[in-house]
Amino acid sequence: MTQRDPIFRLEGVTRRYGNLTALDGIDFVAEDNAYIALLGPSGSGKTSLLRVIAGFETPDAGRIWFQGRDITDLPAHERGIGFVFQNFALFPHLTVFENVAFGLRHGAQALPKDEIAERVKSSIEMVGLAGLEDRSPEQISGGQKQRVALARSLVMQPKLVLLDEPLGALDANLRERMQVELRAIRERLDVTFLHVTGSETEALAMGDKVAVLDAGRIVQYDTPDTIYDGPVVSDVAKFLNRFNLFEGILENGIFTGPFGAVPVTNPRQNKSDTYAIRYDRTQIFDAGDANLPGPALPARFLASEYLGSSIIFLFETEDQKTVEVDHHLSLGEPRPLTVGENYTLSWNPEHAIVFGKETAR
Amino acid sequence: MTATSRNRQKKTTFRLLAPGVVWMILFLIAPIMMIVYVSFWTQTTFAINSTLTLDSWKNFFASEAYVGALWTTIRLWLIVLTLTFVIGYPAALYVGLMVKSKTISTVLLVLCVIPFWTSFLIRVLAWRPMLGKEGAINIILQKLGLIQTPIEVLLFSELSVIIGMTQIYVVFMVGPIAFMLGRIDHNIIEAARDLGAGFGRIFWKIIFPLSLPGVVVGAIFVSVMVLGEFATSGALSGRKVNLLGNIIVTQVGSLKWAMASVVGVILTILLGIVVAGFLRIVDLKREI
Repeated sequence: MTQRDPIFRLEGVTRRYGNLTALDGIDFVAEDNAYIALLGPSGSGKTSLLRVIAGFETPDAGRIWFQGRDITDLPAHERGIGFVFQNFALFPHLTVFENVAFGLRHGAQALPKDEIAERVKSSIEMVGLAGLEDRSPEQISGGQKQRVALARSLVMQPKLVLLDEPLGALDANLRERMQVELRAIRERLDVTFLHVTGSETEALAMGDKVAVLDAGRIVQYDTPDTIYDGPVVSDVAKFLNRFNLFEGILENGIFTGPFGAVPVTNPRQNKSDTYAIRYDRTQIFDAGDANLPGPALPARFLASEYLGSSIIFLFETEDQKTVEVDHHLSLGEPRPLTVGENYTLSWNPEHAIVFGKETAR
Repeated sequence: MTATSRNRQKKTTFRLLAPGVVWMILFLIAPIMMIVYVSFWTQTTFAINSTLTLDSWKNFFASEAYVGALWTTIRLWLIVLTLTFVIGYPAALYVGLMVKSKTISTVLLVLCVIPFWTSFLIRVLAWRPMLGKEGAINIILQKLGLIQTPIEVLLFSELSVIIGMTQIYVVFMVGPIAFMLGRIDHNIIEAARDLGAGFGRIFWKIIFPLSLPGVVVGAIFVSVMVLGEFATSGALSGRKVNLLGNIIVTQVGSLKWAMASVVGVILTILLGIVVAGFLRIVDLKREI
């Protein structure tokens, strides 16, 4: 991808609802022609951010730039930014064709009839709904509604499409298919997708880049693998749902936690002292095994979950904390474990990520 | 489905429907048939007998007063219907769509209903001290120096009947429209905005079509009540405006059952046409 101007840029965007600060001075620059996933827990302000960019809400402070133009004071219908709603928000009294044609018919510039028909037709074909033009929204399935909503936005040929949890209302099977299709459709057009989701797997799977939003701030913006391998703060690690996190005390390069005191290198600046090790980096050993790769964490085996390609083993530490071990089956059969027995969990300390109030030396 | 189970289901359906059907036959179909029957009876000055005749029908259509009343009824109905829509729709738009909080919109709707806590007659008669020659409106306009002599056309005229009816029935227009508007998903309006439509386009292409079932229900409520009206015109027109309802009242009062029945049948047919016409605009079964 060639380097071009950013498609949109946020400068200190702040939005408050009474005492609640939904967006807290967000600075953000989005690449042109990219699939950006915006990941955040519920209440992190991700929908507010989308609504501010679309123009449904005005920020209390900060500016929004779109294609090099300040659009902060521009009303929503003059922005030319696509929006796909979580509940699809199709016009219930119009057919599929009329829904898709709405923006072309009633938008800013009047288009000749046959051009409208042609663009609507190709848009409907692109999302794979040819033949359903005359159905009304209540006569089509959830997945088809999703496609109509997408076609309705894309027919306007926007440079930026905001998708508010677009897969949230679909069942698991359909969700996976739409994930692939959304990416494929985007790649065919010169358009940036900003996809808001609360699901870490969806964000990591779909985004060329992932922005992690927490408490109204973007805490990390990077490629999925960088985020997965190196969350910058413990909240991101927690939200990725792939890390065992241990609270402890970091002092002079020594982390003291439930597994004793271990020396650590390069801790990351954080508001609390936390030690993180990925589920699939955690290994299981017999209690009392002396031949460990690193720290020793005594834990009692609780249960296992078979996921097809891997097995998740759930353990409980002495301080009642659940620890997960992800064993990928391509690494061979897992060792047999007895429920209720004590084992020792260990890992290579090089794989651990340590967050601390104490800055790296 | 087997024949027996289908049969059993049919029986259940019939049993569930029976009370309603019996009720409707006893208290709606039978009385209407009676009225139609009586309208063909022979009426003499002091008596009525069941010899069938077309005399009452002929009398109705021969009399300028009666046919005039039919046209007055239709004219007043159309005026009041238009006014309740023109005044009611913006109010409903505000209550149902503009007010974000559900609590406030409920409070506003209750405020619309509060006048109904007083009796119908009081609500009608209350217009007399408002509209009269020495009524509130004339006094205020004179005090302000806007007029020299009181406006007499305000009371005991067609205008006063229109004002009274509009005030009383406008709420029946506001309610159903506000209800339909309240059901519109705000995301739909935002989606239309996002597609580049300005407020006017959004109103005419999205909001108004989606509220149409409410308009139809409101129009049916208002029409049914206005077409059968007699009290407002009686109290506010000084007997100058005669509606079909007023004729029924006077005919029944003077024991002219046959003529009262004729007017009743005509009114029922008129109502049937109006309601059927409105129902053709929207498929209410699909909407509600």
